[in-house]
Amino acid sequence: MDTFLDQLEACVPALRRYARALTRSADLADDLVQDCLERAISRRGLFRPSGPVRAWLFTILLNLHRNALRASHRRGETVDFDTIPEPSTPAPQPGHIALAEMARAIESLPLEQKEALLLVTLEGLAYGEAAEILKIPLGTLMSRLGRARSALRTLTGTPAEPHLRTVK
Amino acid sequence: MSEISRDQLMAYADGQLPETERAAVDAYLAANPEAAAEVALLQRQAHAIRTLFGPAGAEAVPVRLKPSRIAAEIGRRRTRSWGWAAAAIVLVGLGLGAGWFARPLFEARPASATLIADAVNAHAVYVAENRHAVEVGRDDSEHLSSWLSNRLDTTLGMPDLTAEGFTLVGGRLLPGEPDAGGRAGQLMYENAAQQRVTIYVTAALPDRAPAYQFASHDGAEAFYWANARITCTVVGTLPGEQMKAVAGAVYRQLTEGDVGSGPPYRG
Repeated sequence: MDTFLDQLEACVPALRRYARALTRSADLADDLVQDCLERAISRRGLFRPSGPVRAWLFTILLNLHRNALRASHRRGETVDFDTIPEPSTPAPQPGHIALAEMARAIESLPLEQKEALLLVTLEGLAYGEAAEILKIPLGTLMSRLGRARSALRTLTGTPAEPHLRTVK
Repeated sequence: MSEISRDQLMAYADGQLPETERAAVDAYLAANPEAAAEVALLQRQAHAIRTLFGPAGAEAVPVRLKPSRIAAEIGRRRTRSWGWAAAAIVLVGLGLGAGWFARPLFEARPASATLIADAVNAHAVYVAENRHAVEVGRDDSEHLSSWLSNRLDTTLGMPDLTAEGFTLVGGRLLPGEPDAGGRAGQLMYENAAQQRVTIYVTAALPDRAPAYQFASHDGAEAFYWANARITCTVVGTLPGEQMKAVAGAVYRQLTEGDVGSGPPYRG
């Protein structure tokens, strides 16, 4: 019967990928996705929007992730940078970004910037859909993306061209 | 021409710039190598992010993340919780039912207390009456005796309290407790000082057990006893000794001839 379940299933790879980038842990990410699916299935018909389920699922996942972070902060748990495995690909050429550096840089972003940046770059979502998922106005999304990218540029050692600041 | 914002550059890098604005940005980038480098950097960032995390989306999905499986598990859980809810409802129902049927166990008030209260109430109501203190007057005491005896299903003689200074005023039939035949007879006596005592008589209680009790109730003194034939409550507001004398006389006369009814009360 269930096209709904099929729609969910189609979203699972993206949810896992996004959750992995947010949590930097395969187990935590899959736990998050499982919670997200359980919630979506048990609430279907109640809160489910009439359109595609993808945005709705991402919103649920983000809320669960924020709740989990708040809970773990209360418990005093933190993710140790040194436990993050180094990606094996080096970045020998100038102009290329070292992936390990990038991973650490993303890790250090404020959560709201990280959420927005990953939706747009990793998931390739349109600005409008990302703003809807995050429940923020489009302008707020753009400014979060801008700040996230400036921070990444600084953290990955590629300073911005000075005159660009005046372009705007 | 140079009115290109950072947001537009970012949108261009993300491939989200509307088609109509594309040409303008292309021209701008061709003329501004630094801006072109900026866009390239943004694209390299995005590429690096996809390189880092993209593979996670291509991994085989573990069984526990199959929506159909999760839905089935939730269905099972719901069935179980409905089962628990149903069980809870049944248990609450049983509790209510048991509580309802166990009511008599918790009603601490014994039958004697109810009869005494009825007797005292009837006393208080009718001793205050003058013309209608009784239904059948003393002039008709034989009729009164047979009438009440019939109604109460027992032989009821009129006690003679002359020795205690009291004469019969009369008697009446009253509604009574269902446990004691549903009817009660009240006999009223009066002394020279216009003090009145009443005797409240019913058929025996279901247990037909002998019982004796003195009680003070609502300012009146009551002496109650029960045997296999009747229950009787003598009510008055006389001083203690006088009250005992009257009660003792009533008891002796009404239990005369009853098998196994020794006097409970001496003096």
